Amino acid sequence: MHLAYPAVLAVLLFCVGLYGVLARRNAILVLMSVELMLNAVNLNLVAFDVWLRDTLHAGQALTLFTITVAAAEIGIGLAIVLLVYRNRGTSDVDKLTDLADTGTLPDSGSASIAPATDNPADTAAEQALRAREQTA
Amino acid sequence: MDHLIGALIGAPLLGAGILLVGGRRLDRVGHWIGCLLAAVSFGIGAALFADMLGKPTDQRTLTSHLYSWVPVGGFRADVAFQLDQLSMTFVLLITGVGTLIHIYSIGYMAHDENRRRFFGYLNLFLAAMLLLVLADNYLLLYVGWEGVGLASYLLIGFWQHKPSAATAAKKAFIVNRVGDMGLSIAIMVLFTTYGTFSFGPVFAHATGASQAKLTVIGLLLLLGACGKSAQVPLQSWLGDAMEGPTPVSALIHAATMVTAGVYLVTRSGAIFNAAPTAQLAVCVVGAVTLMFGAIVGCAKDDIKKALAGSTMSQIGYMMLAAGLGPIGYVFAIMHLVTHGFFKAGLFLGAGSVMHGMNDEVDMRKYGGLRRYMPITYVTFGLGYLAIIGFPGLSGYWSKDKIIEAAFAKGGTEGWILGGVALLGAGITAYYMTRVMVLTFFGEERWEPAPDPDKTPGVEPGIEVHPGELPHPHESPRSMTIPMVILAFGSVFAGGLFSINSAFLKWLEPVTGHSEGHSPVSTWEVTAATLVVLVVGGALAWAQYGRRPVPVTAPRGSLVTRAARRDLLQDDFNHIVLVRGGEHLTRSLVYLDHSLVDGAVNGTAASVGGLSARLRQVQNGYVRSYAVSMLGGTAVLVAATLLMRAV
Amino acid sequence: MTGTIHSLWTTAADSATPLDKIPTPKIEYAQLSPVLIVFGAAVLGILVEALLPRRSRYIAQLGVSVTGLAAAFAAIVALAADGYASAKSHIAAMGAVAVDGPALFLQGTIVLVALVAAFTFAERRLDPLAHGRRVDSFAAQGSTVPGSEQEKRAVRAGFTTTEVFPLLLFAVGGMMIFPAANDLLTLFVSLEVFSLPLYLLCALARRHRLLSQEAAVKYFLLGAFSSAILLFGVALLYGYAGTISYGGIADVISGTAKMTPALANTTANDSLLLIGGAMVVVGLLFKVAAVPFHMWTPDVYQGAPTPVTGFMAAATKVAAFGALLRLLYVVLPGIRWDWRPVMWGVAIATMVIGAIIAVTQTDVKRLLAYSSIAHAGFILAGVIALSPDGVSSVLFYLAAYSFVTLGAFAVVTLVRDAGGEATHLSRWAGLGRRSPLVAAVFAVFLLAFAGIPLTSGFAGKFAVFKAAAQGGAVPLVIIGVISSAIAAFFYIRVIVLMFFSEPQPGGPSVAVPSALTSTAIAAGVAVTLALGVAPQYFLDLAGKASVFVR
Repeated sequence: MHLAYPAVLAVLLFCVGLYGVLARRNAILVLMSVELMLNAVNLNLVAFDVWLRDTLHAGQALTLFTITVAAAEIGIGLAIVLLVYRNRGTSDVDKLTDLADTGTLPDSGSASIAPATDNPADTAAEQALRAREQTA
Repeated sequence: MDHLIGALIGAPLLGAGILLVGGRRLDRVGHWIGCLLAAVSFGIGAALFADMLGKPTDQRTLTSHLYSWVPVGGFRADVAFQLDQLSMTFVLLITGVGTLIHIYSIGYMAHDENRRRFFGYLNLFLAAMLLLVLADNYLLLYVGWEGVGLASYLLIGFWQHKPSAATAAKKAFIVNRVGDMGLSIAIMVLFTTYGTFSFGPVFAHATGASQAKLTVIGLLLLLGACGKSAQVPLQSWLGDAMEGPTPVSALIHAATMVTAGVYLVTRSGAIFNAAPTAQLAVCVVGAVTLMFGAIVGCAKDDIKKALAGSTMSQIGYMMLAAGLGPIGYVFAIMHLVTHGFFKAGLFLGAGSVMHGMNDEVDMRKYGGLRRYMPITYVTFGLGYLAIIGFPGLSGYWSKDKIIEAAFAKGGTEGWILGGVALLGAGITAYYMTRVMVLTFFGEERWEPAPDPDKTPGVEPGIEVHPGELPHPHESPRSMTIPMVILAFGSVFAGGLFSINSAFLKWLEPVTGHSEGHSPVSTWEVTAATLVVLVVGGALAWAQYGRRPVPVTAPRGSLVTRAARRDLLQDDFNHIVLVRGGEHLTRSLVYLDHSLVDGAVNGTAASVGGLSARLRQVQNGYVRSYAVSMLGGTAVLVAATLLMRAV
Repeated sequence: MTGTIHSLWTTAADSATPLDKIPTPKIEYAQLSPVLIVFGAAVLGILVEALLPRRSRYIAQLGVSVTGLAAAFAAIVALAADGYASAKSHIAAMGAVAVDGPALFLQGTIVLVALVAAFTFAERRLDPLAHGRRVDSFAAQGSTVPGSEQEKRAVRAGFTTTEVFPLLLFAVGGMMIFPAANDLLTLFVSLEVFSLPLYLLCALARRHRLLSQEAAVKYFLLGAFSSAILLFGVALLYGYAGTISYGGIADVISGTAKMTPALANTTANDSLLLIGGAMVVVGLLFKVAAVPFHMWTPDVYQGAPTPVTGFMAAATKVAAFGALLRLLYVVLPGIRWDWRPVMWGVAIATMVIGAIIAVTQTDVKRLLAYSSIAHAGFILAGVIALSPDGVSSVLFYLAAYSFVTLGAFAVVTLVRDAGGEATHLSRWAGLGRRSPLVAAVFAVFLLAFAGIPLTSGFAGKFAVFKAAAQGGAVPLVIIGVISSAIAAFFYIRVIVLMFFSEPQPGGPSVAVPSALTSTAIAAGVAVTLALGVAPQYFLDLAGKASVFVR
């Protein structure tokens, strides 16, 4: 089999992953798309390894590392996404726009977002914010 | 030994640091720390001097390279010191007189609650002045120059609660800025001409530059010297600077700082020797200031201002001598040293008189004080005899030499300069006799002390009893001892220097020396000087000693009135410079608003607008960030490929 | 030109030859000791977390971190003193990790930065007491929802997230390998090793938790995206050269490698090399926050807990620039005619856009983020010089910049009101009247950012621009100076705001920190002034450490 087939397949996979990262709004799906991109790389690496008859099998070794690292990455990613979901009740990345230059950011001096939680007044503001998020 | 040079400056610098940073905690011991470190510096200076004397003449120059300050490409400025005979002379003068004045200040400032700060500033001044004379390049010299200016500003305005002191400090600072500007431009021109700041290479190649450039450098250096040394046309600050505490007037505005200009001209002798036009300008400035200061000194009733006029005039002598070239350098420095003794002594005496007279400064309200303050009377009297050039005393040896050298310049110039110098000696005798007679002789014209609430011009710390007549008394030991030591210097220094031409031989390797061909012989000059001296002194005695002196000054002639106003210098400055400056500023401000600001604001506005537009991209949507990254990657990859294609 | 490139390399003492059988790997433990110490300390930290009672963890963690980092620094100094920075430069661990001048210099910088950052992590005087206990900048329990019952219980029980210390150490370990990585596999793994802990650290703020978590999500998603791009580039480079070792790829590019028919086939296709190289560079440019890969920076810097921001801004930049330098100087100098113009464009865009957007910022942390972007542009100018001077100037700049940044963010943690840190610029008005010392210190840092003489910023900028100009990039330098001027505008504006405007009534107060943050800030000021007043010694040091091993 010529190198071109797996290589083109890998590029296609990579592009599907790219599309997913750009088009999906659900953070979980974005994570999956990133995984897809990594797997495209894996395919590429293995294909090159075989094609080049690499005596050290660097490509395959790299693939093993990639799989491991990807697993760790997805673990941390899911943890963070889960945290956000529990706080905001959504995993829609388009809802996460409080940090931006364009204006929705509340005056950080006014303490309206996620203040110290042992302060009752702050907690009220916190819950109001989450209520807003959930109804939106 | 060469490491000690750093310690020389380091000691007072350390003192300034400790005293200024240490805060109130050090109030009780601050003055002792200040004195101790000044004395340490003097001790080091003396040790270096002894070491230097032990070496053969041509190996006396010590250099000490501390570190490279700004090494940037071809631009190199080092923190390096050079201690030769000229610097050594200054070091001993600065630290010696400085230490004495530190000691004097302990008594003088005893009641001032900010005495610690005062000593901190004094130490700072010593360090800066030592840096100025020890630097081995112009840039470092400039650092010391500015440091001295800063210390002088702080000390003149030390009693900043007095509006007059605050104004005087500002005036001194601003006038000095004009001179400093000249010096800084001179240094820039020097660098572009010679490619280095270091004295050695610059002087070695001094003649290599074109005549025009040399003249420009010389005139700019002269401008700098005029500022620090209070020479016409930048002399106007010195009289007002007497608002500072009297020890400051003695140390800075009589003995040391104001001589920085003479040092600069002498140090740059190689440049001035190669630029006769600039050298002549130095002479003219010196001669004009000599007369100017003397005339002002005749008219002032304020004892410190009269002495300030005299300082100006004496420095005029030094400038004149320095402008004469190798004939005069040695005598300029010699007069500088002897002047340092007797003028510091005179100022300390004046301070002592004020101390005993409820801080009265008007000489018309003194009189007959010789009976009440004998030590002050004797020391002041010896200083007086020295400054007028009484035969055998210090001033006689140095001043006569300058007059002689002025004649020796030759030609019409020589006659004019010599004549002016001779006339100046007469006027000196006149105004100094006037000061002496008004203060210590005649009847007692004392007046009750002014109410400090109504007159803000009273030095604090001196006990004033409103409405009471002053009780003149001798000053405490800490004040009289320095005066006695300085009086010894005033009497013997000149003679010591002249035995066997010791001072000439000491300085000659640095400054060079040549005997001029005087059209008049030495004894003729001496005789003429004695004649004008006697005439000037007799005139003053006739005017003030033999007749009762009115307590309020008579209106006086037009010249007297002008002289009281510093020969209208301030009015001239105000009309020509201040008004003119205001008009210039106003038109510049207009231009600035309409043209420059327009351009600047336009740029700022367009940057701001661009910024606001670019910010919109940062919309917080993580997916749009990813798109921009993808776009960036695509562009990068495409550009890389494209680079290969073309 | 070739001559100047070659002088950047020394040949490794024993160059690895291709082998038929995989040999038993030889690991030079002594040469890798700095990294091993840091990882050892991190593992110890995990054990502390698992075994010690909750009360004693804070002290134990702080002790382990500080000791570990100090020991690592000592090991680095020992290696450098032993000559590994110059004559004995070596590639350890079977060609995976380089031990040479730039690596040791950058590792030293990272470790010192981390040491100071550990102090700011441990600060417990700034927040008001929670139920009678001192608390730090991190959430009581990361997994709880703010305002929930569990969270209240966690706060009442006095929980603290002492896990931040092992996380910090793991990140530091990764960052230390990153600039020393000598093959693409190590590059990728170390990238992930330092990125993953940072993602977590970002999410752990005690106050403004939602913003903090949002920052973590953004950082994570974009970070993962960028590492996928990098990894794809790695695959293409491997496909082109048939090896993942830096030296091997460089040999193939220069045509000195032994060819097999299969290799000849892929090597013939230069687009593999160009595309792969570009994508790996993109992955690194993301970490250094170069335009257009910078957009995560302001959001993440603002949302993350400020001590983490300070650490991230300083140390990540050092590590990523180190890796970028090694990649461009060791692997890709053979195709410099292809990447240099492109990097020119990136540098210009980064300098200009970073400075311009900063002008209209109203939040201190965002302002510092954009300033860090602009600085990335200045450093890139030095990278492009492709000369020993370029390397040494970049090393110096990184050391100078990292301490200024750390100090500046440490100051930001001090200015507080009821809602935590008061980062809106309007709240900083008149700070100089109320707390002259804090304002003066911040002014020093701002002046260093602006590159005013006598601060480290000036010396760094001067060195970088000089190297760039000597490398023939005069237009780049001109644009750099212009954007410095634009940047100076907003730094000075903050100083003016602090010192010359009236304080707001009810404005923020300046918390009195413990010795920990004070030490961090003092270290920042000291390094800033030391590198500004006497830069020559450190420039010489960086100059001696500017030769890569290959």
